[in-house]
Amino acid sequence: MLQYVVKRVLLMIPTMIAISIIVFTIIQLPPGNYLESYIAELQAQGESVDPQKIAFLREYYGLDKPLVEQYLRWAAGMLRGDFGYSFEFNMPVTKVVGDRMFLTIIVSFVTILFTWAVAFPIGIYSATHQYSWGDYGLSFLGFLGIAIPNFMLALVIMYVANVVFGTSIGGLMSPEYIGKPWSWDKVKSVLEHSWIPVVVIGTSGTAGMIRRLRANLLDELQKAYVVTARAKGLPPRKVLRKYPLRMALNFFISDIGSLLPHIISGAEITAVVLSLPTTGPMLLNALKSQDMYLAGSFLMFLAFLIVVGVLVSDLALVALDPRIRLQGGVAR
Amino acid sequence: MNALIVRTAALLALLPLLAGPAVGAEEPPNIAAAVAAGQLPPLTARLPRVPLVFEAPRSDWTLGRYGGEVRTLMAKDRDIRMMVVYGYSRLVGYDEQLRLTPDILEKVDNVDSRIFTLHLRPGHKWSDGKPFTAEDFRYYWDDVAHNKDLSPFGLPQALLVNGHAPKFEVLNETTVRFTWQEPNPMFLPALAAPSPLYIYRPAHYLRQFHAHYAGVEKANALAVEAGSRSWAGLHQKKDEQFRFDNPDLPTLEPWKNTTPLPSTRFVLERNPYFHRVDSTGRQLPYIDRIIVGITDDKLIPAKAGAGDVDLQVRYLRFDNYTFLKQSEKRNQYHVRLWEKALGSQIALYPNLNAEDAEWRKLMRDVRFRRALSLGINRHEVNEVVYFGLGRESSNTILQRSALFRPEFRAAWTKFDVKAANALLDSIGLTRRDAAGLRLLPDGRPMELVIDTSGESTEETDVLELIRDSWRQLGIAMFSRPSQREVFRKRVFSGKSMMSVWSGLSNGIPTPDMSPGELAPTTQEQLQWPMWGQYYEQNRKGGEAPTSPDVVELVKLFEEWRNSGSADEREKIWLRMLTINANEVYTIGIVTRALQPVVVRDNLRNVPVEGIYSWDPGAYFGMYHPDTFWIDTAGRR
Repeated sequence: MLQYVVKRVLLMIPTMIAISIIVFTIIQLPPGNYLESYIAELQAQGESVDPQKIAFLREYYGLDKPLVEQYLRWAAGMLRGDFGYSFEFNMPVTKVVGDRMFLTIIVSFVTILFTWAVAFPIGIYSATHQYSWGDYGLSFLGFLGIAIPNFMLALVIMYVANVVFGTSIGGLMSPEYIGKPWSWDKVKSVLEHSWIPVVVIGTSGTAGMIRRLRANLLDELQKAYVVTARAKGLPPRKVLRKYPLRMALNFFISDIGSLLPHIISGAEITAVVLSLPTTGPMLLNALKSQDMYLAGSFLMFLAFLIVVGVLVSDLALVALDPRIRLQGGVAR
Repeated sequence: MNALIVRTAALLALLPLLAGPAVGAEEPPNIAAAVAAGQLPPLTARLPRVPLVFEAPRSDWTLGRYGGEVRTLMAKDRDIRMMVVYGYSRLVGYDEQLRLTPDILEKVDNVDSRIFTLHLRPGHKWSDGKPFTAEDFRYYWDDVAHNKDLSPFGLPQALLVNGHAPKFEVLNETTVRFTWQEPNPMFLPALAAPSPLYIYRPAHYLRQFHAHYAGVEKANALAVEAGSRSWAGLHQKKDEQFRFDNPDLPTLEPWKNTTPLPSTRFVLERNPYFHRVDSTGRQLPYIDRIIVGITDDKLIPAKAGAGDVDLQVRYLRFDNYTFLKQSEKRNQYHVRLWEKALGSQIALYPNLNAEDAEWRKLMRDVRFRRALSLGINRHEVNEVVYFGLGRESSNTILQRSALFRPEFRAAWTKFDVKAANALLDSIGLTRRDAAGLRLLPDGRPMELVIDTSGESTEETDVLELIRDSWRQLGIAMFSRPSQREVFRKRVFSGKSMMSVWSGLSNGIPTPDMSPGELAPTTQEQLQWPMWGQYYEQNRKGGEAPTSPDVVELVKLFEEWRNSGSADEREKIWLRMLTINANEVYTIGIVTRALQPVVVRDNLRNVPVEGIYSWDPGAYFGMYHPDTFWIDTAGRR
């Protein structure tokens, strides 16, 4: 087992190197660089550009250096914990991400709790009451949830809130708390504002989870051991809780792998629409304006979380499900 | 010694009582408490001895009341710089009649556009209360502009005349002088630009980051601590008067930024040392606070329509007009239509540096460009795409400008297929293929591809209409939408034959403004990027122009740069406009483009009709947002 873990951890190193090369290349693929898109943007707004300033910035940011050198500089910096410099904000990447990361984690975490709290009971109900009216009704809602894109739902809610209730939504706290240090009032304000993004972002996740839980549970419910347990006279709830539900949870554990990066990145498009101060819109903007170190370091961080998440969920599966064996005789 | 200074200061403080209109003027209420508590000096000690007295610029302008906040939206943190543009506090600035008038400066003495003596306002202070003096100019000149680390590329272009730097002198505490050997008409317009030439720095603040004053080691240590590579990097970062991203940097603008990047909400507070007063001696600005929210640019029209802003112009487009108008009543605002100062809302740019030799030859042939211009049904475009609100025009300056002549606008704009065909025949493009398309001399059919930046459907709609009329000339036209950066690359490298963009950016020039847009001066000019690059890089890169008319334009531009007299500059302007109109280097289609402006009902002094222009104008800047005010009585 230990050997397996070590092997997996070591494998992460070449994986991360490969990812970093791919990330860097893809960010560099669109023509031009940050300064050129900066000039183009200014001109689209009718503003003028001082060529001398641009020359200074080009040299200062090292954009005149060959790509390989830029990459090596960035990669070496990351090893030392220096994630580079954001051109757009004119400050180190870590400082830019700072507070946003915290808010993103809050929103995502609450969203995940919301998803679980809603999806579990409904999923179990529709599996145990298959083809009942309740199942049909909830499945219908579930399909709606999957089919409606989050950002669309966000737009509709925003419009309704504005026209019917005359309130403006968006943002994660009352304006007076933005940029202020954390206080109890600020926390309350965040909680008050966060339910809309939580519902909007959570809907499709909830719907998806209901479907998966239902399908997995249905598979298990028809197996012989369930019949045996019932025949032996176990109460139906206990049967459900003790055997098929636990079996059906494998998908849930393997989901953890993708959950970690999701917590950090938030739902980009929805966050843009709701103008949430999370990291999603920032990543999107960084990619648009080719702020390459900000975008690159952020993507690397996400990639790292995925790699770690997959490892964690693999290990958890091994630990929790005795049917899973380590292949290749490693831990035999 | 100290007593003497105190006594002098007290005497000086009394001076405005004798001279200025500031007698007994009320304090802005939101800082009155701070003044009473002694945290801020009283009004007379905060204002310069001779403040700028703001006179009513138009009949509907009224004296205001203090208080309130104005909310506006921007799309990126970086856009906070727009507040420097709107604030428009400059050494000299344009007024609403586009006259250059002293603003921060008390006066400017100008001898032949060669010797400029700048007189500061004695007693003028930075937003932190420290004096603003000639030392701030000297610091820029000696320690920034002439420092190899801070200015590795030398002086800014606007300070150089034929490559020569001026002589800089400090005459006394409030007077500095710049002297050039030859005239420099670019100097004052550069100081008045929305993104101005800053020839002064808050020296008392920046010294702590400068190796010369703090010591190299200490300055570098400070820089490393702040995450910069060297002291020069940190100095640059702290010293961004235009970026407005350093709340600690003292400013002369009406409002100072109090929020560091990154944020989704920026708060700008009144600068208690601002140098302008209204005619009753009350210090401007009237409005206490500006709140800048950051949201996605595509959401800004929606949020403006939802009543989330008090004043908004940026990121609103003409096609949002009907939507915005719809919820005007419900959300208590007005949508106004201001005129953009563009020479043409939309213009075609034949690429005179196209890679393809056959096409390049045609693009350089004036008969071809004229034929294309005659082959556009501008009336139809105006009616179909612009609801008839535009005006059919070539790409030239607007009627508002004193330099305007009707013949510039009319040149080669009348829809005349017959004349256009005759012109094409005279070039020798007489052979046609079976479909009726004219053939190039090498036998290829004339299929003209126009590059667009792919940002608006407006461009493609217009091109669609032009395609039909050009078909009657025997020319097939295709549009090739791409993406902004790709678009620019294709044009600069000559891969694109023709492109579409907006026309002249300054349609309301005076003879004192640079005619640089009319001659090749920079690579950014889509009709001759390589010729522009040639002059931009001091005849090192790009290509030298061959066409005699273009060479003449360059010569005229250089004459303008070296001209000391206003009459001569006007003559040069007119000549350059005439050449551009005759040669049709760019094909303008309609002008009088409109820009929606959303204004809260109770916000006063925002003009009903205005010009929306970057330079000159600084968007709102020219209309002095420091005199906008909120009428709380009118809220009902």
